Formats: sequence, structure tokens, C-alpha cells
Amino acid sequence: MRRRDFVKGIVAVSATARSVLAQQGTQVAPSTPPPVPTAPGPVPWMRGMSEVNRVPVNSILPDAVAQTNAHFFTGPEMVTLRRLCEILLPPIKNYPGAIQAGTPEFLDFLIGASPADRQEMYRAGLHRLDAEASERFGVAFANVTSAQADQLIRPWLRTWMSDHPPTEPYEQFMNVAHSDIRTATINSQAWSDAERAEGEAAPDMGLYWFPVEPDMYRERIPVLQRPSPQKRHS
Amino acid sequence: MAEETVDVLIIGSGHSGGMAAKILTEKGISCLMLNAGPIADVQRDTQRKPAYALPYRGFKEPGRLPHVFQSNEFNANTWVDEHEVPYTYDPKKPYNWVRVRLFGGRSLFWSRQSFRLSDYELKGKSHDGYGDDWPISLADLAPYYSKVEGIFRVRGHSDGLAQYPDGNFIEDNAPWSGSMQRFVDAGQRAGVRVCKARSSEGVNGLASSVNLLLPDAFATGKLQAIPNVVVREIRTDKNTGLANEVHFVDRLSRREMSVRARVIVLAAGTLESTRLLLNSKLANSSGVMGHYLIDQIYGAGVVCSVPEARDGKAAPGLMGGSALIPRFRNIDTKAKNFIRGYAMNVYSSNGPMDPRNIAAYGEELQQKLESYHGSTFGAGIMGEVLARYENHVSIDKNVVDAWDIPVLRIDTKYTDNEFNMARDAVDTTVSLAEAAGFEVLSKNYDPNPPGYSIHELGTCRMGDDPKTSVLNKWCQSHDVKNLVVVDGASFVSGGWQNPTMTILALAMRASDHLADEMRRGNV
Repeated sequence: MRRRDFVKGIVAVSATARSVLAQQGTQVAPSTPPPVPTAPGPVPWMRGMSEVNRVPVNSILPDAVAQTNAHFFTGPEMVTLRRLCEILLPPIKNYPGAIQAGTPEFLDFLIGASPADRQEMYRAGLHRLDAEASERFGVAFANVTSAQADQLIRPWLRTWMSDHPPTEPYEQFMNVAHSDIRTATINSQAWSDAERAEGEAAPDMGLYWFPVEPDMYRERIPVLQRPSPQKRHS
Repeated sequence: MAEETVDVLIIGSGHSGGMAAKILTEKGISCLMLNAGPIADVQRDTQRKPAYALPYRGFKEPGRLPHVFQSNEFNANTWVDEHEVPYTYDPKKPYNWVRVRLFGGRSLFWSRQSFRLSDYELKGKSHDGYGDDWPISLADLAPYYSKVEGIFRVRGHSDGLAQYPDGNFIEDNAPWSGSMQRFVDAGQRAGVRVCKARSSEGVNGLASSVNLLLPDAFATGKLQAIPNVVVREIRTDKNTGLANEVHFVDRLSRREMSVRARVIVLAAGTLESTRLLLNSKLANSSGVMGHYLIDQIYGAGVVCSVPEARDGKAAPGLMGGSALIPRFRNIDTKAKNFIRGYAMNVYSSNGPMDPRNIAAYGEELQQKLESYHGSTFGAGIMGEVLARYENHVSIDKNVVDAWDIPVLRIDTKYTDNEFNMARDAVDTTVSLAEAAGFEVLSKNYDPNPPGYSIHELGTCRMGDDPKTSVLNKWCQSHDVKNLVVVDGASFVSGGWQNPTMTILALAMRASDHLADEMRRGNV
């Protein structure tokens, strides 16, 4: 490219580019990229970051010191769920039970964030459990004895294989809730701490995949350039 | 602006794309590979964590990946998110489309089961009158299977069964475990042959395009690759009708770009390849593109306990190992309510018992789990799904993906042939397990939804007649001779076999042929 053409091209870009060119005179090679704009003043934003080692922060998870505030289930539903957790997975040997692992509160969070059919399965199941307790024993499920609870729960327990829980709605609730209560408890920090205390080496560790070059741009696309308003993501 | 025309443009980097790249570049042909997703770096992209440190304690994030039963909170970011790349279906006929767009595709994560199709599949119509024969036979594929088995280091035992063809194996002569021997003996008494499983060992545990195929291709200096580009359309020369350009969009920037090519090899995975061709309105003079979608039935199975292994009393060598019951129905006899057949994956485990197999709770359940630890014996079906014209995919013009590319509508369902087959598989396995002295704890007759096996096949079937098939026996388009589809879209029938070895053998064979045709100037 001839120098005259090069200058002509640059001039057309912007006043900023013109001033850069003026400062650099004619010694700039055509392939030199324009300088990256910097903030005003002597602010070395990133200086030292490439040399810093891992920041020595003693981070903990909130579960270690804080309670989950339940807000999805109603009060009566929550006390029924607590009693169900207590019955299905009590403390055994040196391991925490579902209550000690914060499982009812975690399930409140999980089910509250879940699709409507899963929410409905839980709500209907808890209501029926409470209603059957009242009908058969004259008390809320929250107040049944272990023997009474056994009469309400055991008839509905089934064996089942992955991805194929029972299809009858109440059977499904009883067996899926049982599985969820066990998973939430065994995957809790309280359970993990107990395992370590028993001498098991990091038994619950898994290989977690971070998002790989995530597409952060997607949500802006409809606003910027979607040509057809009829088209939508399902 | 680059005006270069590449020799061969390969779309997709999984097993089939990797094989095409290896064969073509080793024959001196320059290739450019496009991949829709990024390159994964395990060092950068993963970290070992406890489940309690994840947002949902190891539960799947609610509402995310509802059709990827294989996903969990640890691996959720490796799968294609169906909000980003949707597909549509009748809610009464759900389909599990399980996809990976990382470089290497689904070759990064697969079960390693490595089987040949037999002529009971390749020439199925000749055997039982249903469907269509492939235009090739096992004899045509056998030399390629042997080479693929060598590359993937397939471990197996030669059994001499026509329906379970032997191959180029690292011979597995290990003895059965005690529990498996009892099952083998029970099978023998019932006339059901129980064989060694066959599996790709790969190298350092990985049997992927990224470590077994692509390194050879890159080493030739003839392969270049562009990750993070989503192909929108293949275009043709108006004068010649040949494919000559691919239009793609940069995944992250949304920049629209094009590249010109002399030959295009499609290896995006069965349904993505077909989606691209349908969106391009290309190579479908037969009208059968998108039809004959096949997969395999999974999910039906049995879980047992070996009584002698309970309470920590298992004798050394009693538990462990795996086996395979290859298809035995409709070979020499005729099943009463289904055609074709299934295989069973059989396993014996020293590990913990899944609590769902015990109908108890609390302390009683805990005691039983301790007692049953190390006693699990189970089996799961891999069954043939019949190729049917009505099981098909098409473009849903009302829905687009994150790059404004129209999505696929999938319309498929199982019928009584598949359901009856699943029932027979479970009942047969239960009878064998009981004859072996095992306690059956759980059984399930219901297959998972179509697609679950991740073995979607067909929709661009091969054949000799351009009026009834999309591709010829070399996986080359009847209509557009410089277009080759090397993934599972060419299948005429699926059999019960994991299709990976067959996809690889077909890709190798198609690429060999393509290189010859290019050398002769025919393409």
C-alpha cells in the first residue's frame, strides 16, 4: 500500500486515530495495530496479575455456618417433609441424618426451583401423607410415631431402576422423595465430614466441568439483530 | 479476504470426521475441519470437587438438560444445551437428542463397546423379509473393521458366531468370575450363548478421535481446523450442481463467513448432518432424506444380588467382570411376537448396591445395603429398532437456534416390536439369573425414550437406487457427487450393536474411495 493511500484510510477513521498518527509520525509500519485505549491517568490496571499466585483465602461454603431459609413449601408442608426426612434417613452410627444434613431446607430450595410437575408431585404427596395420618391415627404426620409412620410408608415402597420410578403418582412421590432425601443427605457437607472422620479419603469427589468457552452473547442477540419476530427459541 | 478453495472441507471432528481427516491427509489431500464447539482442555476446564460444593448438591440443575439422562451436575457443561440448540417434537412422542459439540464430539464420551454388524443386519431383508438390505455386506466392510479395531485396540474373544462376527482383537482369554461362570452355565443350559464383551481399550484409557485419529492427520501437515464455527448452509454451483461453498457463523462473535471447497465431507453426527442438508435444500431428489430414523432400545433390564457374595463373604474371584449375550432370537428360530433381536450387557460388581433395589428405609435399609454390598449382578438391553419410513425428522421453520438456524423436528416412536422385544429380554434374563441362583431385586420392562442410546442412525440411508436412497454405497450423495456423508446417517438398519466401529469402518471406506475418485479426477 502506498503511504498516501494509507494516510487517506486512517484519516477517514476518526479524530482519535488522526492524533495517534500525528504523534507517531511516518515511522509507523502499515501493519502496526492502533494502540489499545487506556484509562485517563497513570492507572496500571493489570500490572502484577500475571505474577500473582493463588490468593490465600480461607473460603468456606455457606452451609458450614448458615441455614437455608425455606420459602417454597407452606408451613404444614414443611413440617410434614421434616418428619418424612427424619423417618426415612435418621442419624445412623456416626453419620448425620437428613435433618442434621439440612436436607428439608435444601429440598425446599431444589423443589422450589424445579419444573411444575415435580413441585406438584411433592405437594400432592405431602398432603396425602398428612391426610392419611389424620385419617388413620388422628394426628398430623408431623406427630406420628415411628410405628405409625411405618404403616403409612412401607406399603408404598418399591424397587426400581434408574430413570424408571413407579408411575402411580403417590408411589412415585414416596420413592422419588426417598431417593432425593438420601441423595441430598449423602451429598451434604455434614455427611462428607462424617466420612472423613471415619477415615474415608475424599469419597464424594467428582470431576466438575466448568463451562467451556461459554457463549455469553446469546441473550443479546434477539435485541440486536433478530430479523424475524416470529422466530423464537423453544 | 481469503479466496482460497480448500480440497476437502470436513464438517465435524468426532469419530467419523477424525477418520476422514486421517485417511484423506495420509493420502496427501489437504483438509479443513470445521467444528461447532470449542476445544476442551481438561487442565483448564475441570476441577475435582465434592458434590456439596456444587450449587445443587450433585442433583441436576432443575429444568436443565431434561432429555440428557446421562447428564449430572458435574458434567452438565459438556452437553449441548437444548435451549441454545433446540429441537421440537410432539409432547406425546418425546425424543432424547444427546449431543456434544466439544472438539472431538461424542468420541470424547462413549461406552467403548466395539462390535461389527453381521449379515443378519446388513442383509436383514434377505433373512426375514423386513425393510431393506444394505448395498454392502460384511465382506465389504470386514477389511475396514480390521483396521479400525487395530487403531482402537479392541479387546475381545473370538466366538465363531455368525451373528457376532469375530475381528482383529486383543484376545481376551481371561477366566470368568465365579458369578459370571454360573450365568454362562445357566445360559448354556437354556441354549443362550453368553460371550465376552468387546471393548476399545484405546490409549491411556481414551478411545477418541482426538487421540487416535486426529493426531495422525495433523502430523501430515495437511489438516487445519477451526473450532467454534456453526455451519449454516452448504451451497452449490448453479452451473455444475456441485457443492462448492460452506456458509458458517462464528459461534461467539456471530460473524457470518464462507469458505469454498472442492469436496465436502459431512461428519456432524447423524441428525446434525441431516439438518444441515435439509436446511441447504440439497441432495434430496429421492425425498427420503430425514426418513428411516433408527436408534436402539435401552433402559429395560434386571438387577440381582448374588447371595454367596453378601455380608462380605464373597470368595476371591466370585464377583466382577462383564459379558454379552449377543442376539440369539430370530436366527434359527422365530420369536412369537417380534422380529430381529437384542443383546444383553451383563455385569457383576464388587461395589455398593444401589439403594433403589431395596424396598426399605432408615436403619433397615442401611443394614441391607451393608449386607448386599459387593453382590450386584445386572443386565441391560441393547435392542434393534426397526427402520420405518414414518420415523423421521424435518425442519421446523418456526423455531431457530442461537444462531438463527432453523431447528429439527423429530417425529419417532417405538412400536410393539420394540416393546415385545424388551419384555422378552427382561423375562429371559430373569430366568437365567434365577437358574444361576441369583435373587432378582428389580426389573424394568420399559425402554427409555427414543434417542437415549445416543445411537441415532439413518435419515440419509445408502442404497443402489437414487430414487429410494440418499447416498450410494460409498456414502456419496447420489445427487451431488462431491458431497460425502460419513457419520451414522447412511445406515439402512441399526441392529443391536453399538454403531461406533461401523461408523468408523464406513468412514474409512468412504474416505479411501473418495481419495481414489479425487486422484482419478472423478470428483
